[in-house]
Amino acid sequence: MQSGAALRKDNNKTRINTFEKMDDIDAMFSDLLGEMDLLTQSLGQETVPPASPPSTNKEVNFSIGFTDQNESLNELEDTDLDALMADLVADLNATEEKLAAEIQASSTGSSVSTPASSATSPIPPPQSSKPTKEEIEAQMKADKIKLALEKLKEAKVKKLVVKFLLNDGSAKTLMVDERQTVREVLDNLFEKTHCDCNVDWSLCETNHELQLERTFEDHENLVEPLLAWTRDSENKILFQERREKNEVFKNPQNFYLWKKDKKALKDIKDKDKELLVQENFCGTSIIVPDLEAVLHLKEDGKKSWKQRLFQLRASGIYYVPKGKTKSSRDLVCFVQFDNLNVYYGKDFKSKYKAPTDFCFVLKHPQIQKESQYIKYLCCDDARTMNLWVTGIRIAKYGVSLYENFKTSEKKAAVSSVWTNRSTPSSSNPSTPSPTIKAKSPNQANGHAPTPQPGPISADFGNIPPPPPPMAEILPPPPPDPAFPPPPSLPSKGSPKPSLPQRKLPTNFPPPPPSMDNLPPPPPPPPIDDAPPDFLPPPPPTSGFGSLPPPPPPMSSLPLPPPPASFGRMDQSLPPPPPDPEFLPPPPPEPVFTGGGGGPPPPPPPPPPPAAGGGGGFPRPALRPVGSVKKMPPAPPKRTTPSLQGGGGDGDLMSELMLAMNKKRGAH
Amino acid sequence: MAAWDLAISVEDLGPDAPPVTLSVASDLHVGGVILKLVEKTQIKRDWSDHALWWEQKQQWLLRTSWTLEKYGIHADARLLFMPQHKPVRLCLPSGITLRLLACFSNPVFQTVMGICRMLNIRRPEELSLLRPIEHKKKKKAKDLDEEIYDLTEVPLSSASRPCLYNGMPAHFADSSQMEAIYKMLSVTQPPPAPEVIAKQYRPASVVDKAHIHGRWLDSSRCLMQQGIQENDQIWLRFKFFAFYDIEPKYDVVRLTQLYEQARWAILLEDIDCTEEEMMLFGALQYHISKVSQSEPQMMSSSAAMDDLESALQSLEVKMEGESSTASEMLETMTAPDLNDYLKIFRPKRLTLKGYKQYWFKFQDTSISYFKSKEESIGEPIQKINLKGCEVAPDVNMAAQKFLIRLLIPAPEGMNEVYLRCENEQQYAQWMAACRLGSKGKTLADSSFQSEIQSIRSFLAMQKSSSSSHGNVPASDESINTHSLVSPRYHKKYKPKQLTPRILDAYQNVAQLSLTDAVMRFLQIWQALPDFGLSYVVVRFKGSRKDEVLGIAPNRLIRIDLGVGDVVKTWRYNNMKQWNVNWDIRQVAIEFEGNVNIAFSCVTADCKIVHEFIGGYIFMSTRSREKSDTLNEELFHKLTGGHEAL
Repeated sequence: MQSGAALRKDNNKTRINTFEKMDDIDAMFSDLLGEMDLLTQSLGQETVPPASPPSTNKEVNFSIGFTDQNESLNELEDTDLDALMADLVADLNATEEKLAAEIQASSTGSSVSTPASSATSPIPPPQSSKPTKEEIEAQMKADKIKLALEKLKEAKVKKLVVKFLLNDGSAKTLMVDERQTVREVLDNLFEKTHCDCNVDWSLCETNHELQLERTFEDHENLVEPLLAWTRDSENKILFQERREKNEVFKNPQNFYLWKKDKKALKDIKDKDKELLVQENFCGTSIIVPDLEAVLHLKEDGKKSWKQRLFQLRASGIYYVPKGKTKSSRDLVCFVQFDNLNVYYGKDFKSKYKAPTDFCFVLKHPQIQKESQYIKYLCCDDARTMNLWVTGIRIAKYGVSLYENFKTSEKKAAVSSVWTNRSTPSSSNPSTPSPTIKAKSPNQANGHAPTPQPGPISADFGNIPPPPPPMAEILPPPPPDPAFPPPPSLPSKGSPKPSLPQRKLPTNFPPPPPSMDNLPPPPPPPPIDDAPPDFLPPPPPTSGFGSLPPPPPPMSSLPLPPPPASFGRMDQSLPPPPPDPEFLPPPPPEPVFTGGGGGPPPPPPPPPPPAAGGGGGFPRPALRPVGSVKKMPPAPPKRTTPSLQGGGGDGDLMSELMLAMNKKRGAH
Repeated sequence: MAAWDLAISVEDLGPDAPPVTLSVASDLHVGGVILKLVEKTQIKRDWSDHALWWEQKQQWLLRTSWTLEKYGIHADARLLFMPQHKPVRLCLPSGITLRLLACFSNPVFQTVMGICRMLNIRRPEELSLLRPIEHKKKKKAKDLDEEIYDLTEVPLSSASRPCLYNGMPAHFADSSQMEAIYKMLSVTQPPPAPEVIAKQYRPASVVDKAHIHGRWLDSSRCLMQQGIQENDQIWLRFKFFAFYDIEPKYDVVRLTQLYEQARWAILLEDIDCTEEEMMLFGALQYHISKVSQSEPQMMSSSAAMDDLESALQSLEVKMEGESSTASEMLETMTAPDLNDYLKIFRPKRLTLKGYKQYWFKFQDTSISYFKSKEESIGEPIQKINLKGCEVAPDVNMAAQKFLIRLLIPAPEGMNEVYLRCENEQQYAQWMAACRLGSKGKTLADSSFQSEIQSIRSFLAMQKSSSSSHGNVPASDESINTHSLVSPRYHKKYKPKQLTPRILDAYQNVAQLSLTDAVMRFLQIWQALPDFGLSYVVVRFKGSRKDEVLGIAPNRLIRIDLGVGDVVKTWRYNNMKQWNVNWDIRQVAIEFEGNVNIAFSCVTADCKIVHEFIGGYIFMSTRSREKSDTLNEELFHKLTGGHEAL
């Protein structure tokens, strides 16, 4: 890793030196760059903990949870320090990689193979393109300015050392920079803790003074809310499983059909759950559960709790004023969510004499102490409280919640090992490239994993090949013959990064000879570096290193059955994700589609015996056409036994279509 | 076979012309009859659109190979020979009336498809026709000056999708008038004058709304059979509130008309919303009208982006805009400064100190202030970071009061700070800066100038509405804010009271592009609790009183008229079957778990209810895999009723 990074830096330098004889600004920038490089390099070599990051202008390093810097340093164990170190290095590397990639992407038309070439050959990439000399120079200049600015910006980035408390009382410490999302931090923590990566893992913020607790949403940036903490705060960050985070996607009926009786909600079919999620999260507009309840309110710094009839709408929380109807136009706005977060209150019965302990709080994230601007609400029971907190989150964050869930579900399905460290937003399709690149040179240059401190080497060295991520999350690839080995390099031929191209097996067998005349053709890199839009991480390059080069068993698998590949490749991995969490295979197989992830809900009880023939879908009844009374149209024929065996899991459309076709055929 | 005389009226000969009498035999097919008839009239013209209408049976004789015997036509049949397409006055959701040729012989479903094809509206199954609300007689004068756009010249094409020229169907590119019509279709209308809103019919109760839904035409029968005459007025409206696959690039007209329908639903309180929501709707309307005036080409040009390349280009630009480019970063680093003398006031308990003047400096997202300009190099007296703060205006043009009220979050709570500006110009700049700062943006942000502009135009609105009393025709800079909200708020607030409230909501939407603003409007509309409900007054079996059935895209609800509350909800996906007993006009529905309901319909024909339920089930069957072809047959099976069998 490090040597790869060093090589990269040399490249940068080469590039810089080439243009030293430019005008003043250039020289200035070059100097600046050189300096920064030096800085970063020294960082990479020294073993002293980087108490302050290479910030040129501003002291930005905080440590949260400790009263002073030294204490925090002392408390860090050696391994943690190493980890931090490694993180930092990886971080810098990643940024540089990204920079290099950006420059190349912008300077050359085809960026397909450039990242690899920059790693293997010292030729500055722009020369591989054809534009005139002036253009190149102009481009160079622009690139350099950009690079310099990027570096300046980098220097301004705030980084925090954050201690994450685990359930067992231990703690992990990580360096988090302000661009990182909670999701990325979670991914890093997965690596460190080797937990099972299920969708419930969350980061929680506790406010000691106010006795509050809030689960961060995965798309939030972590640093920002932490900066709001006061210096002497006893707030903590917990790393725990929180069921309620994604409960609305696992059991949407409890939120969207909350008025129905409990038994009906329990008996709901997976298919119906899915439909509810579809209806409320996949339409043009996100639908917020229609909540209405009498809640106890304590506000404006008053001591007493008073009852009001509240309603939740997408635009905010409202209450029904005394003596008015529940009609929308009479509602009084209580709060809107733009500047508020919702928190669970802990033990409010004793702290504030709340009627129950099921309280939640709305406040501006910056407020850390008692204030009249905090609104305290108290519910009759836990269910109501969860309903409201979740409802408010949906109203506030909208579709992001669902995207977070899907990302974490994918994560859970793929495995815990292949994580994007230090990459900005793994959910953004275009950004994962830096990591990919950061890793591929390792392989491309044939560097054996050299012993290194910290978890980086640990990840790569100790853990055998991560399971091929694609196998689980992708539809079975089409039969091999469709892809005659060498010419079908997906990176070249198909600019559209459509998913099916991620068929690992087909790409492996032949070491593609036609590959962009790179001297040493290590199989994977060009594929990796190709369109950065692939969502899942690249094929396990590190895995190949330790495997016999072209893994024939893989390529001969026509449809990659996940368990098989798992069994083979996954030896010392943390528990593999349970099968039901795989993403649904394309053909509608109800068994799979239902399992949203996480602990699967109790299996739905067997459907009522043939109650409705086809089961839970509106099917216009068919009566004999010639009956005395005129009957409504009845597309689907009832005469045939239901398709899926009366289980009620037939898809409405297919059922209808089938029935109609039959009918048409009969005529 | 014996020949007999058949009398046929030919519409083209005029209403008073005697019927043409033909000598026919019962085994003559309809095509033959027409041929004979045309020969006999001796008029040379294109008769291809003409067909025979059998008046007694209210039926078209469209199967030309059928014999008269097979149709059961005898000498006493009154037959009328006339074109199948006739002009109607079609009232669009925007309130504009078009004159165009509609098919009178096919089921209304197909008629709507034809109209939508002509107007370039995708997904015609979501729309339908309804009879207009009868106007009182006094409306005559208004009818005269109503502008009608004529589209009757458009040739009838059978192509499933018209070829596009410049992003619009080719027939709109023929002349500048036609192009103007297309523009009218695809650009939102300016806010209506408050009097216009006040004059419109507003349903006052659920029952009133239910009556409107009794006006839908039957999709499975033709216009002729439903008593629609040539040149009658009919309304084109979105009927099924399940909008599938909206794609701003292709759906310019569809989106515009959908927006118009939503806007009127809000303005006429066809759908209820809260005051805060109304203000946001008002702000969006204001923004949409402003943006569509300043860049009227945007929508049509985005429609013109048919070729992939330009689409890609715009994508690129967008991506670039999102990632940080070099130039943008440069800008951030060389962000403009804003410096001036302002007065500050911090209302603390027990202090009666007034405003004090300082030298203010706006940098990044913070405000710093100094004793004087000269001392501004040193440490500021205080630096206030505006990120995450609340910004509210407190402006009175008449009193020349320009206050910015800031609520700044701090660990201990929110701190209140007032900034007092001297004049409009200063206020607009600092207000814009504070707003950007509160969102974590700096002055380098591209929206700074437009933010200043919008603040100024809102100030102008306040000026005009306070000087005159709304009688001035809305100039482009100032809109009477009464045009943006329902009449209820006309009574509740004066325009100048309304302006700051709308401005307040406006700050959250001011940056949206036209398409995004329209989409946002539609999203907020769709998120309203009552969205998508079509009401019918029904009488449930075994119940003695009228109740209201609400039909939504995914469920049926039962509303108690006395309380106004939803008493019961049934979801379609729990529905096992539904039946209509056409003899006793009763709808019976069976849900899972042995739940059976049955009701007769009071304000609408049960066919309408049947069509709503079947239609929504049809809408839910649409999916991406199933290509773009509309499964007409399925629609009719699900909605047709006994005629479909």
